[in-house]
Amino acid sequence: MFLKFSLHSMFYGAGGGNDIQWCFSQVKGAVDDDVAEADIISTVEFNHSGELLATGDKGGRVVIFQQEQENKIQSHSRGEYNVYSTFQSHEPEFDYLKSLEIEEKINKIRWLPQKNAAQFLLSTNDKTIKLWKISERDKRPEGYNLKEEDGRYRDPTTVTTLRVPVFRPMDLMVEASPRRIFANAHTYHINSISINSDYETYLSADDLRINLWHLEITDRSFNIVDIKPANMEELTEVITAAEFHPNSCNTFVYSSSKGTIRLCDMRASALCDRHSKLFEEPEDPSNRSFFSEIISSISDVKFSHSGRYMMTRDYLSVKIWDLNMENRPVETYQVHEYLRSKLCSLYENDCIFDKFECCWNGSDSVVMTGSYNNFFRMFDRNTKRDITLEASRENNKPRTVLKPRKVCASGKRKKDEISVDSLDFNKKILHTAWHPKENIIAVATTNNLYIFQDKVN
Amino acid sequence: MEVQKEAQRIMTLSVWKMYHSRMQRGGLRLHRSLQLSLVMRSARELYLSAKVEAHEPEVPLPPVRSPDPRLHQSREAEAVAEAAPPDGEQPSPEPMDTREAPPAEETPARCAPRPAKVSRKRRNSSLSDGGDVGLVPSKKARLEEEGEGASAEVPDRLQPPPAQAEGAFPNLARVLQRRFSGLLNCSPPAPPTAPPACEAKPACRPADSMLNVLVRAVVAF
Repeated sequence: MFLKFSLHSMFYGAGGGNDIQWCFSQVKGAVDDDVAEADIISTVEFNHSGELLATGDKGGRVVIFQQEQENKIQSHSRGEYNVYSTFQSHEPEFDYLKSLEIEEKINKIRWLPQKNAAQFLLSTNDKTIKLWKISERDKRPEGYNLKEEDGRYRDPTTVTTLRVPVFRPMDLMVEASPRRIFANAHTYHINSISINSDYETYLSADDLRINLWHLEITDRSFNIVDIKPANMEELTEVITAAEFHPNSCNTFVYSSSKGTIRLCDMRASALCDRHSKLFEEPEDPSNRSFFSEIISSISDVKFSHSGRYMMTRDYLSVKIWDLNMENRPVETYQVHEYLRSKLCSLYENDCIFDKFECCWNGSDSVVMTGSYNNFFRMFDRNTKRDITLEASRENNKPRTVLKPRKVCASGKRKKDEISVDSLDFNKKILHTAWHPKENIIAVATTNNLYIFQDKVN
Repeated sequence: MEVQKEAQRIMTLSVWKMYHSRMQRGGLRLHRSLQLSLVMRSARELYLSAKVEAHEPEVPLPPVRSPDPRLHQSREAEAVAEAAPPDGEQPSPEPMDTREAPPAEETPARCAPRPAKVSRKRRNSSLSDGGDVGLVPSKKARLEEEGEGASAEVPDRLQPPPAQAEGAFPNLARVLQRRFSGLLNCSPPAPPTAPPACEAKPACRPADSMLNVLVRAVVAF
């Protein structure tokens, strides 16, 4: 199996580390430094073909970019992503019973696989999940008998002849309409949604519960995990992320704030409170510190495309787990170990609570995650090489190759290195996405979306 | 001493963050609150162990410290929550004990009417059905509060529920329960046993009732 993996990456390109060169392609979003809170990007997701790229922001808006069809003449770069559709997915709401405002921030977007001409995606805020249909309209019927062209109704007595309306071409219009609204099923804040491989059901997870929905049914859902203790004073952990297995429609995982991942099989029982597998690495006693508990909290969990592995992100590291081995991860990558000695300061400025996401490349050979100072990191699982790159407007000439960055943890700072104390902790990359088939990545800084691609010769 | 000061600073910082997070948009985040509680607990343990080491040759402190810190912490939470300057207090075992006395005077006044009140209809009828009954002040909690005046008795009274030492929420929950005691009408006379949380789970998961929603607003934020 391992050999097969290495051969695969040899022939098809490792896609990371020092093997490929990443180039700036595009940047989307406002240029000015004064960031409007509503424009803060809160989620990024490619669709299954990679043709569409969706972002959600704190203002409840979803923006979808579409890749231009590859220009056969100019084959030195892949198609650009341009705005395809923008719509307001969620609005702020008020829970009168609890006197709480429900934020409109989009926590997650997940695309459904395309079944017909329209595209469908699920978007969620803290409490409500919505199924959106995005469809194109490039023709409209003209020649109605009872209506004028502007829509006004004609006086029936003036109708002397009959004709059949015909479709005539019009300027392309992309319409987004909410087809389903899945509400009132979560007491706590939704952190994850995941579509099942049966393409009929999906799960939504909040801090203490996971619900299973059918895409067609909005008025009820099944509770499949409930970790709420009878006595809330005994609460010790919460659910931080959940995902369905990419191939087995009965299997899903959820991660916890204690650094554990539970794999559940829905065939075992209706309520999956008892896990089938528990993935947990014993804590390294030498690393024990004051903030050990909170930095071990898993902020993201993602299955590999193959379904054989899963990746988890905690505050300082990325871990790859083999589903067949529960007692420790098979690979661990340190994202920014130099922060371990700074945890107290990071607690003071709240950065220690940042929830970083992670993603796989299409061939599962490289993983990527974000860091501070607008740095993001890639780890090549085969070559064991890693690279740190920066999303910055300074490198914004198209096809500019990104220069690897290095953080100097201590001691003498070499030229071009940046010291830990100079890092800008307000510039954080929490959300990244990798095109499912090609080496195109989308990296979200606070309010800008950067698109990078590998250098095509 | 340095360790103690640092731990104290972290404690007050944590409480301030907890208080501040209640006012943010979207309501209190359960995960964030849990993390803050964990840090606060670690800081408290560190502070107290440093204190014990410092005072060991002089005064033998009671071995069981975990129940006391919860009270201590709730005092701090209250103090900060009532807009005292975050680092204005200098907690130590002696002042901590005396500070417990004044609230002990008020709480019995508030606690006393509770058992006498008739339970509102939303209240779960049984403690053993695994519902959200633990969210309202339990009998056990009131026992702790009533016993505050006699600090020597506190550790003993707090022994019964071992599970409580595990939970990260007891202190803040108690603080908020006290502050919102007007909203939370009452709790029925609860049996003086440990909550059956460790016992067998109910066969059916009870639906969340209206009461739970209201109570949850306080405890689960």
